[in-house]
Amino acid sequence: MTFDFAIVLRFKEALLLGLWTTLQLTVICVVLGSLLGFLVGMARSANSPFVRVPARAYVEVFRGTPVIVQLFWFFFCLPLVIGTEIPNIVAGIIALTLYMGAITSETFRASLKSISREQYDACTALGLPHATQVVHVVLPQALLRAAPTLLSNCVSLFKESALLSAVGMADLMFIGQNISNNTARPVEVLTVVALIYFAIAFPLTRVVTRFESRVLAKLSA
Amino acid sequence: MDYAFDFYSVLSNTDVLIDGLLVTLELTVAANVVGLVLGFGVALLTTSSIFPVRVLSMLFVEFFRCTPAIVQIIWFFYCVPILFDVYIDSITMGIVALGLNLTAFNAEAYRASIQSVAREQMDASVALGFGPVQRTLYIILPNALRLSLPVLVTNGIGTFQQSALVALVAVQDLMYAGKSLATQTYRPIETFTAVALIYFVISFVVAQCVEFAARRYEPTSR
Repeated sequence: MTFDFAIVLRFKEALLLGLWTTLQLTVICVVLGSLLGFLVGMARSANSPFVRVPARAYVEVFRGTPVIVQLFWFFFCLPLVIGTEIPNIVAGIIALTLYMGAITSETFRASLKSISREQYDACTALGLPHATQVVHVVLPQALLRAAPTLLSNCVSLFKESALLSAVGMADLMFIGQNISNNTARPVEVLTVVALIYFAIAFPLTRVVTRFESRVLAKLSA
Repeated sequence: MDYAFDFYSVLSNTDVLIDGLLVTLELTVAANVVGLVLGFGVALLTTSSIFPVRVLSMLFVEFFRCTPAIVQIIWFFYCVPILFDVYIDSITMGIVALGLNLTAFNAEAYRASIQSVAREQMDASVALGFGPVQRTLYIILPNALRLSLPVLVTNGIGTFQQSALVALVAVQDLMYAGKSLATQTYRPIETFTAVALIYFVISFVVAQCVEFAARRYEPTSR
């Protein structure tokens, strides 16, 4: 068995294009999903059960089902449910955004919970209005504590985005699989694709680790 | 919305879904056995004092943690037969791919808990004249298992969900059964919703049990 990794170079542009699609989709879903996640995280500690229960149900459903099932559902069922065609890219973004919203809401919820009771008491004692309390006391601390986990949620989403290839979107994985099928060189092409994902995800996880220890040091100071 | 739901297509084909579910469960259980056993071994290797062993085992863990599971599964199905010139049936291959993925995640969980085994316990085991093997089996393993159990079970549920990916390489699991049923009956909403519900109910129930147990046996009682 001889391997010829030079063959991959011939498809450099196609793979880069796929990577670009993957990154774009990841960034869009990360931004939309984190915003959604923050709102849902807040909703889960709401007083009214009419807010709290649906928020919890949403999170549990999206965390309790495989992402691939969610993707298939949005691709094949959503158009039927709403009665119109929707472009593939929109269905993909909706599915991954909702997934990201569910996992980040847990991150935000944990960080909101970690703000101690005394801080709220102190706010009351200082006579701070509710808006000031949320924006200047709760939010900065919640964000700082959530940041490392949020970043690793982003890495997860980057990896999950490879599933979009299964519903025919031309991301890195899809293009890689196409090239590997057409050239009958799966070993070379798929290995390179795996290495590309690794080369992006691994440094990010290192950043998470370093960031985490710095945040911990800062919080304990 | 004027869609007429018809769950008959799902209800009359429950045997197909159950057959698929059994394959999914088989994959999950076998991959978890692989992941629980090998994960501990790999975790020990990552704390080894021999540099090449440590680096290689860490590389293994990081590689599986930092690439998409779907890439790993497709890589195993396409490349292993070429690289090693072997033919392995698809279920076994699915177990190997999912099992190694879980091994990497479990190794991280074990490693964190191994490092949190108190220094005094090590000192005590030396004082009592335990050898390295005895120390590993009787001091480190029980401690590590207890401390990392919640994460191990969470990872196990994760593998249950990841196992749906093998449908893409034509292993006839629950997801695959759902896909073919949806196409045969032209009833994607009913079928995929039913499939999602099955995955959800199992994951949710197991997760709730673990959360309950974790709260009950929390080491620092309030």
